[in-house]
Amino acid sequence: MGRPGFVLDVDERTPPLLMHEGEGFRLERLPLGSRVIYPPESLPSIVDLEGAIRHALAHPHGSDPLPQLLRRGMRLTIVFDDLSLPLPPMRTPDVRQRVIEQVLELAAAAGVDDVELIAANSLHRRMTPAELKRTVGERVFRAFHPDHLRNHDAENPDDLTHLGTTPHGEDVEINRRAAESDLIVYVNITLTAMNGGSKSVSVGLASYASLRHHHNVHTLRHSRSFNDPPNSAMHHSYDRMADVIGGYVPVFTIETTLNNEPFPAALRFLTRREWEWNLTDQASYLAVKRSNDLATTRLRRRIWQATEAPYGVTGVHAGAPSQVHPHTLAAVHRQQLTEVQGQADVAIFGLPYICPYNVNSIMNPILVMSLGLGYFFNLYRGKPIVRQGGVAIFYHPVPHQFHPVHHPSYIDFYELLAETTDPVMLETKYEKQFATDPWYTHLYRTSYAYHGVHPFYMWYWGAHAMQHLDDVIFVGGNRSTTARLGFRAASSLADALELARDIVGRNPQISYLHAPPMVLADVR
Amino acid sequence: MTGLGDELRLLRHGRGWRGQARVPRSAQRWKLPDNGDDFPTAWARTTPAKVLRTALQQGVLKPVIWSQTRPVVHGREYLDSVRGPAIFVANHSSHLDTPLILGALPRRITENLAVGAAADYFFDSRAIAAATTLLFNAFPVDRRGLRRGRSLAAELVDGGWSLLLYPEGGRTVDGWLTAFKLGAAQLCAMKEVPAVPIALRGTFAAMPRGRRWPRPGRPRVTVRIGRPLRIGADETVPEFRTRLVRAVATLWAEGDLGWYRALRAAADDSLALPIGSRSVLPTTASVQLAEDHDMAPWRRIWEATRPPADDGPRQVWTD
Repeated sequence: MGRPGFVLDVDERTPPLLMHEGEGFRLERLPLGSRVIYPPESLPSIVDLEGAIRHALAHPHGSDPLPQLLRRGMRLTIVFDDLSLPLPPMRTPDVRQRVIEQVLELAAAAGVDDVELIAANSLHRRMTPAELKRTVGERVFRAFHPDHLRNHDAENPDDLTHLGTTPHGEDVEINRRAAESDLIVYVNITLTAMNGGSKSVSVGLASYASLRHHHNVHTLRHSRSFNDPPNSAMHHSYDRMADVIGGYVPVFTIETTLNNEPFPAALRFLTRREWEWNLTDQASYLAVKRSNDLATTRLRRRIWQATEAPYGVTGVHAGAPSQVHPHTLAAVHRQQLTEVQGQADVAIFGLPYICPYNVNSIMNPILVMSLGLGYFFNLYRGKPIVRQGGVAIFYHPVPHQFHPVHHPSYIDFYELLAETTDPVMLETKYEKQFATDPWYTHLYRTSYAYHGVHPFYMWYWGAHAMQHLDDVIFVGGNRSTTARLGFRAASSLADALELARDIVGRNPQISYLHAPPMVLADVR
Repeated sequence: MTGLGDELRLLRHGRGWRGQARVPRSAQRWKLPDNGDDFPTAWARTTPAKVLRTALQQGVLKPVIWSQTRPVVHGREYLDSVRGPAIFVANHSSHLDTPLILGALPRRITENLAVGAAADYFFDSRAIAAATTLLFNAFPVDRRGLRRGRSLAAELVDGGWSLLLYPEGGRTVDGWLTAFKLGAAQLCAMKEVPAVPIALRGTFAAMPRGRRWPRPGRPRVTVRIGRPLRIGADETVPEFRTRLVRAVATLWAEGDLGWYRALRAAADDSLALPIGSRSVLPTTASVQLAEDHDMAPWRRIWEATRPPADDGPRQVWTD
């Protein structure tokens, strides 16, 4: 059993602490008295995963066992989370492959012929055949690709169906094949508390017409945080949509949770508490850091993107989504929740090289903003780790780099930021234009591009943080890109604290969220 | 990009020669359990180590301390009756305390004396542990009661070693006397050995927490050794502990009140004694001050660092 998460008070004994900064990392000495929020240590994984999956399918929550739901002549659609989960991509065999194989064994035994597998990529870029194969495994890929194993296409009017509206007037439009099936089996990985549950089908298989009801500035500003579903307006919207979908098609979901092992053994020092580093850890740190610093940008990115996480599975729960998800959330909280007393004046976050939208790609400045002010800032339950009107300090170089194939609309969106960085202004003035641009739509459908509206969603992702914080500073950030985003750059932590002094005074209370591995601050 | 040298310096910051860092205080609760590989100290009690230690203590440590401070030692004559193991108990507010006591005690005692040292402080880093063990014949004392198994202190007494223990559990933050833990009294009761009270004055002013060297000017420090005490037949361990505290407080008070008045104050039960979390200055010229427990931290430090009256012949009466 791993040790629980805890809050470290930096004292004179505390060695320099590890900070991620994009495709790199560093040691940093924090001011005495700073607090560091450490995640719980990795939980032991399930030894007999095959047995656990079998048991989950046979003993579901709030549903008949899966074998009883399968019958000859039915239309079965298996939907699975796309490459945005987990992060980094897990070492093969992916847990989705192992679940899907067992579901297909049962379907074959029941004589189901009409089976379709769909990646729930929503407005994300399509997964390449290689990425699909990596996710579902060789056997499934050979049997179903390309005709019956595919990506969801949110811009194909022939493959979308409008199921109705919620009591709040929200359109529910999802994948036609899935909606017209006799059963949807959803295979999920819940990496953070925002994943899974109602979100799976209502977002993963949705169209822009549906997504715009919850992926907007107003909803995100009232999702506090979006990692705390009961207090997230976005999740309330998902729930309403899931109710509509549930009226049309039964959904049997299989949710899996992972432990806190995002890095392979060679990078073990990234997950160990610094004062417990032995000589091997220190030598690894030095060797990896020096090699990483000396490598070219291209090589460095290639190496980081090739990193596979040795995640272990901590839970498999199956059945009706609303019944399953509480068990999943409990497992996520067991692994990630750390209790924190009170808010700080300054929050520090070290941003890693990867976010859900740059797998095998480049993290552009918009994604850096989304990772920092969206994902990391929202890793809380209760209250943000930094007070209203406080300052957030992020570590990231914020390079001016874009992947022209994956993120074409991001390149144009970046230009809009010269005019305004106000999410409401951007939403009002430009969202529809980007969302309906035929060129972006064409690239989304036929190439491997994120949808035209996607950079807007990334910007909205940080809307709550932008409203909450008085200043945002990037240590080591490229000055011009950081300024374009509306933030400030500092060359060191001391400089960043100096910049923040006007807002938080000379001796601010500082909290550093020590992630990854994943931690969810339960702020009291 | 930082240079390799900078990177190494940062990496080595706060780490010992084997690369281990001390556990931050707030992380002590979540310290990885020891796997029975506690730092070994038996080697420090071998004859070669004893010879080397005596040479270091007499040839280096004592001359250095005596050159940096002006120690005054009282009561050495009470040790004539001490034969065989005894437990020396002293108040503790400075890293100067142990070298001063070792320098103040006769060699026949220090050659067979082991010093209890905080396991979480002195035995965190192997380099510090090795140096402490060699120089002071130190053995680890668990201040938090996390370690299990037979106490090394009891084994040492069984082996004929005297012990120097600081029953306050660590250096005080303001130089005031804090309550004694039960361990020393319990050991005396269990092993039927005498306890020798020692009071140290001036060491907090000379080198408090945070200082690594005595302040300039050869500050005066006083070591007062009391008569050995034995637990009575009907006395409980807590009662014996109280007697020990009172003995140390009486020795402490001698500096202000003189020997006889301090004895009278102890007999009249008018010395302020630490109880629970309440720390005291056992006596000062002002009784009111000694009992003013809510005073601001700076005032506590101010009183604890008040220069002692000039030393001359031992005072019997102060009037």
